[in-house]
Amino acid sequence: MTMIFIFLGLSLLLSYVLSRKQPTLGAYFTIIASLAGLISVYLLRNSVGVTESFYYLNFQITTIGWYFAMILLTVYFTSAFFNPFWMDELIYPAAYNSLYLLSLVGTIGLFFAQDLMTLFICWETAVWSSMLIVQQGKSRQAAWVYFVISAIGSMSTLFAVLLTMYLSGTSEITGALTYFTTAPVAGALVFGAFILAGLTKIGIFPFHVWLPLAHGSAPHTFSPVLSGGLVKMGAYIAYLSVAVFPAYQVFGDSLKIQGVPLPIYGLMILGAASIVYGTLRAIQQEDAKRLLAYSSVANGGYILIGILMMDQMAFAGGLMHLLNHAVASAAAFLAIAAVAKRTGTTKMSELGGIIHRMPITYTVYLIAIISMAGIPPMGGFVSKWLIFQGLSEKGLILLATAAAFGSIGSYMYVFRPLSAVFLGQLAPKYEHIKEANPVMVTAMLILTAMSLLLGVLPNLVLKTIAKIQIELGINPIIVNGTATLTENGSVDMLQVFTVFGFGFLLILILFMVLPKSRRVGLMDTYTSAEFIHTPELLHYGHSFYAPFERLYEKWPSVLPLYKRMSMKLSELGEWAESFFFHPDPNRAVLWIVVVAIVVIIGGAQ
Amino acid sequence: MTLMNFIYGFLAVLGAFVFQTSLTGINRKVTARLQKRRGPKWYQQFIDIFKAFSKSSITHGWVYDFGAIMALGGIAATVIFIPVAGMQAFPGLDNIFVISYVLAVGMLGMAMSAAGSGNPWASIGVSRALTNMLAYDIPFMVVVFTLIYQHNTGSVSELASIQQGVGILGWNFFKLPLGGIVSVIALFGMLGKKPFDSFIAPAEIASGPMVEYGGKQLGMMFTLHELMTFIEVSLILNLFFGGGETLLIYMVKYAILYTFTNIVSGVMPRFKIDQAVTFFYKVPLGLAFIQGLLVIYLGWGY
Repeated sequence: MTMIFIFLGLSLLLSYVLSRKQPTLGAYFTIIASLAGLISVYLLRNSVGVTESFYYLNFQITTIGWYFAMILLTVYFTSAFFNPFWMDELIYPAAYNSLYLLSLVGTIGLFFAQDLMTLFICWETAVWSSMLIVQQGKSRQAAWVYFVISAIGSMSTLFAVLLTMYLSGTSEITGALTYFTTAPVAGALVFGAFILAGLTKIGIFPFHVWLPLAHGSAPHTFSPVLSGGLVKMGAYIAYLSVAVFPAYQVFGDSLKIQGVPLPIYGLMILGAASIVYGTLRAIQQEDAKRLLAYSSVANGGYILIGILMMDQMAFAGGLMHLLNHAVASAAAFLAIAAVAKRTGTTKMSELGGIIHRMPITYTVYLIAIISMAGIPPMGGFVSKWLIFQGLSEKGLILLATAAAFGSIGSYMYVFRPLSAVFLGQLAPKYEHIKEANPVMVTAMLILTAMSLLLGVLPNLVLKTIAKIQIELGINPIIVNGTATLTENGSVDMLQVFTVFGFGFLLILILFMVLPKSRRVGLMDTYTSAEFIHTPELLHYGHSFYAPFERLYEKWPSVLPLYKRMSMKLSELGEWAESFFFHPDPNRAVLWIVVVAIVVIIGGAQ
Repeated sequence: MTLMNFIYGFLAVLGAFVFQTSLTGINRKVTARLQKRRGPKWYQQFIDIFKAFSKSSITHGWVYDFGAIMALGGIAATVIFIPVAGMQAFPGLDNIFVISYVLAVGMLGMAMSAAGSGNPWASIGVSRALTNMLAYDIPFMVVVFTLIYQHNTGSVSELASIQQGVGILGWNFFKLPLGGIVSVIALFGMLGKKPFDSFIAPAEIASGPMVEYGGKQLGMMFTLHELMTFIEVSLILNLFFGGGETLLIYMVKYAILYTFTNIVSGVMPRFKIDQAVTFFYKVPLGLAFIQGLLVIYLGWGY
């Protein structure tokens, strides 16, 4: 395993050197490097439990770490196909390519970390490298916000790491965290600090502010990695703090709601709030990338709720949703990136009718949103189904309602880009654009095939998840051939898919038998006796859900609160600064003397 | 999964189509009587559909056709999943979430096809239809969650058979009256019956999603509407009115429930779409929550 890190470390240097000479070459190299990483991590699947050290860093292969790493590598590998085509749009292409691989090293290291210090170092590596990439996008402010919110997460992780190491006397993750079964009060503190880091990274309400900004304005090739990949780091921290850290024992004495301790239930409510908030905001967006970013906020809520449940169904659903969302969201972001490459915009009201020029990209986006909205026969359905079954089995009706709201609300927002970008009238200025480059199409088709495969044969993944559940000592999800069985329901996705195919076939035959239709132009439509000759005027792409949006457009936002906080903070900084930095040099000398005295007195004791 | 399953499935789709289309025809007469007209012949709906099938038609590109096929195909598949009087073409595939989400495939296909026509009226209609769905489905889902919690199963046929054998008071509609009322109101939303029909509002947005259809595509949309009605009414019937012990009882109950929605719809005005959302989130959602809390925390309805 150390070899993988050394290899990726060397390849990031090599990609830097190559990119200095020829940026595109370096970008192609990121594809090869991430593919090599993917294959070599896949080969580790049978060596669970192996530990390795690399100077001060200690790593261990675990099933869950392997699962997370595979998700991340899939996203990195497929997004890398887009890198070569964005080299001329970046200010520092060489830095982009090497940071791309550096953030990959950081995240994989995080999932395989055996001790807390390694965990923290890898976390920081991933955060910093991705922050520097976000900065190369449309907005510097986005990178700043991303950095500040990530810093909150980093600081609280560092606090938790140091406190845990101090109290338990060990830095090995499992040993250190299980120590808290005997010290619930300190445990609650550590749990709070750890989960805070998780929440900021997943983008759970009210820490979501960075996510739409960063995802919306990062370079088009990196948004899929941010949304499909890096957000999952937070999910891993959430997993550590509820499954490895004995959260249910530590809070065993607290008030319980349907069997869930109150602090954990509170976190689930935050997850539910993210689902509702993300959905409502996504419906409002006019920019396709920001819309998808808000949908990541909503999906993060599902993942958090699922992982916190720690049961047979919802936990499996949460872990599977990680993969489904990673694949679907990466595909959707890539499809939008492919459109942006050809048209130069991601604003939905400026696009339209792209399907007539980019049919494959359209199909990729369609399959991705079917999965994202949780409609069979795609992967997203299975994971949402498991979460629904788990929540209704426990009678957590409020959370279940939020989950249903997010699920049905997602039809609304995912249909927005489908309708405004791909369907509708084709503007004359896009008359001559072409389908995306074959290299990009390959990457998108890989993700599409995965979405479909996960939907038809979910047991391929649920088997691994069942293994994780057995390791944690919870009742595992039962897989029997192609059927998935739970305590209160079962589903056989292969059969569902077959029946769906059968229905489709019946209607296809009916359609073929009936008289053939005559092809007419898009402008040849019923317009209530108006004469309209401008396609743009016949395209309904702006304020798609206006009547619904009006119902909540005046709702308060957390953003003004954060703005006021940051203003006060910077004033405080200026106030403190005014003591030390002054045009008069005497002031500086005074402080040097004061500090020196304090040090001397302090040292004397 | 043998060939017989598929043949049964095909027959189920055909039977549902014939039954519901006849019922729609009869209900056109019922509506007419409400409005002091005589109304068309009971088989007029069949004539309309087959006439549309035989006419020449236009297409606005492949997604316009593909969406229509996907819509009707998805809905036909959903009909196969529906348990009717304990009979199922594919036993074990009747999980409530599977049914309600496979139904979404059909809706997505229809929305895609309509938006693919390039007509803004169609897009407005789709936007309203999706908003309407978000309105009625949440209260209904709360009730469904309550049912699954109470009976510890998500299978529609099991939920139906639990209610049978103890007479009319065994029905969930009487055991959980608030939930029952919510689901019947939600049924109006699902069927697009007044007062929740703003997404097809013929005089206002030229029939919304349906505006561009003609010929065989229109015929397919009519068929889709009949099958979708069958799915939605059957779902409420199975969940709250005990399904049916025999096919005859099922059909009688079905006819009564459907005619009831039609009669009520006949005397209703129309909500604007935002009014529909506000209504559903105030009254039915509140009732559904009260019902859920009563069942989960006070054990009502066992």
